[in-house]
Amino acid sequence: MVALPLAVSNAFALDICIRVFLFAFIGAAWNLLGGYAQQLSLGHAAYFGLGAYTSTLLLIRAGISPWIGMIAGGVVAALASLPIGALCFRLRGPYFAIATIGTAQALMLLFLKFRDFAWGAVGTTIPNLGNSPLMMQFAGKAAYYYLALGLLAAGLAVTYWVERSWLGYYLVAVGEDQHAAEAVGVNVPRIKRDIYLVSAFLTGLAGTFYVQYIYFIDPNTAFSFNVSVEAALVSIVGGIGTPWGPVLGSALLEPASALLQSWLGGGAHAGVQLALYSVILIAVILWRPTGLLGAVTEVYARIIGPARPPASPAGGALRKGVPLDG
Amino acid sequence: MTAVVAQAVVNGLLIGGIYALVSIGVTLIFGVVKIVNFAQGEFVMIGMYISYWLATLIRLDPLASLAVSMPALFVCGVFFQKFLLRRVLGLGDMPQIFLTFAISLLLMNVALLLFTADYRTVQTGYTFASLRLGPLYLSVPRVIAFAVAMLLSAALEIFLRTTDLGKAMRAAAQNRDVAMLMGVNPDRVFSVAVGLALALAGAAGSLLMPFYPAYPTVGQQFVLFAFVAVVLGTLGNVRGALIAGLMMGMAESLGVQFVGADSGLIVVFAMLLVTLAVRPGGLYGGQTR
Repeated sequence: MVALPLAVSNAFALDICIRVFLFAFIGAAWNLLGGYAQQLSLGHAAYFGLGAYTSTLLLIRAGISPWIGMIAGGVVAALASLPIGALCFRLRGPYFAIATIGTAQALMLLFLKFRDFAWGAVGTTIPNLGNSPLMMQFAGKAAYYYLALGLLAAGLAVTYWVERSWLGYYLVAVGEDQHAAEAVGVNVPRIKRDIYLVSAFLTGLAGTFYVQYIYFIDPNTAFSFNVSVEAALVSIVGGIGTPWGPVLGSALLEPASALLQSWLGGGAHAGVQLALYSVILIAVILWRPTGLLGAVTEVYARIIGPARPPASPAGGALRKGVPLDG
Repeated sequence: MTAVVAQAVVNGLLIGGIYALVSIGVTLIFGVVKIVNFAQGEFVMIGMYISYWLATLIRLDPLASLAVSMPALFVCGVFFQKFLLRRVLGLGDMPQIFLTFAISLLLMNVALLLFTADYRTVQTGYTFASLRLGPLYLSVPRVIAFAVAMLLSAALEIFLRTTDLGKAMRAAAQNRDVAMLMGVNPDRVFSVAVGLALALAGAAGSLLMPFYPAYPTVGQQFVLFAFVAVVLGTLGNVRGALIAGLMMGMAESLGVQFVGADSGLIVVFAMLLVTLAVRPGGLYGGQTR
């Protein structure tokens, strides 16, 4: 995987790989909150957009490198998650999801109004400085490939770290049953706030990467509802509450949609991508609500032999360790 | 100034009738089946397209096409419950949210593929007619929409209060398990509840058609208002949804009048956030499963 760009020079194939890594990374960030803690956000575009705008504003207004801007974007996104979380976590289940849609849409409307400060609805292009790695701009796609792969590796590392720390156990307890978790002494509001902070920070990094990759930003791109949808979608299709679920989901969905779009020829068939996604989502929810990762491990176990235990449901890897049996 | 305010309030009240129909549908499904239907707005969209095509192809008045859109969507609702919602009952938030959400996405994008993103309007003899009431002007199609919306809400309330099926529905909304022990057939009650909710959405679509354009994402305009209205009016409460729907209409209209033309949605989100900040427990936050 690391050597792939050396062998493949096809820009289209590399572009698909970059999208796979990027959305697997966003999915991993979403999965910390949505998968482990079962707080089903449909507003992660808010943090994607804040990350994208922070680094772009710093770059264009102050000439600060997007490498610094990326971290700043993550911090801004993480800080924004505090008040947003304080409001939205007052709601449960579907109403939490609706409130998060509301916050992302409200931020988009806000940035549409910032005409002088942030270019309003027109958006802006990122000044092209040629090949300047210090400003996160590269001549070929290979560098973006490694950067996206690095982000994904970082996202997976954070997921594994969270899964193995005390935070992971608390998260799964919150996800299973908030009242029971509170009853055994888990500080539920704090746990939710902390994981939202981490999830928002990572999503902010993805926002910076994306604008540096496509060289353009406007509120409709940065706060696109599609980003919120895909963040949740790759995790659910792959396997919610598992480290590799978002990776599998992204590896299935992104190439499928890219190939479909290039086959149909772009703009003439707007809507095909989301129609395809929604059919896949309906099928997964009706036939395999724990995601396809479980199916893959089951098939693998059947071929290799019965030594491995059968696939466990969402968060299963953690569930056996949750101190909630009593 | 008072005339301007009064006009804005009246305009908001009239469109609020439509919001109320959509909100009642959301709250009815939530009350009985315990699922928040993210796709409710798309059924309004389907109702609009039914009326649009009937008006375009056989010159049927959009109001007359209520007789088609409501039964058609009732049947849709029964199938929606039997083949989709029933399979995720009691499965927790994730499958329920994302199933109805995926159906919403699917319907929107299929409409986009079939009908393109064009705004489609129907001109009727009364589209631009208005009544004069003192200093106020009332748009005739909006008055009709409001009046029919109120009639349908009242009919639903009477149905829920007086018929056996309606009482069974209310019983199932209050306590599903006990209602089943008392001999309520859940399949039938659930199917009728979802059917009625979708019929109301279809009615909202047909009532909108004389004065509002149909396009694939039009449902999103209404469903967001409905969600906020349903939170404001306490989930599962039909009267609460009706009153909150009318309030949302007025709030939006006053917002557009005094804040700016594109601020309708901002007012809705502001109302949602203020509700959450000030009275979360009294509305929904306190009573979760």
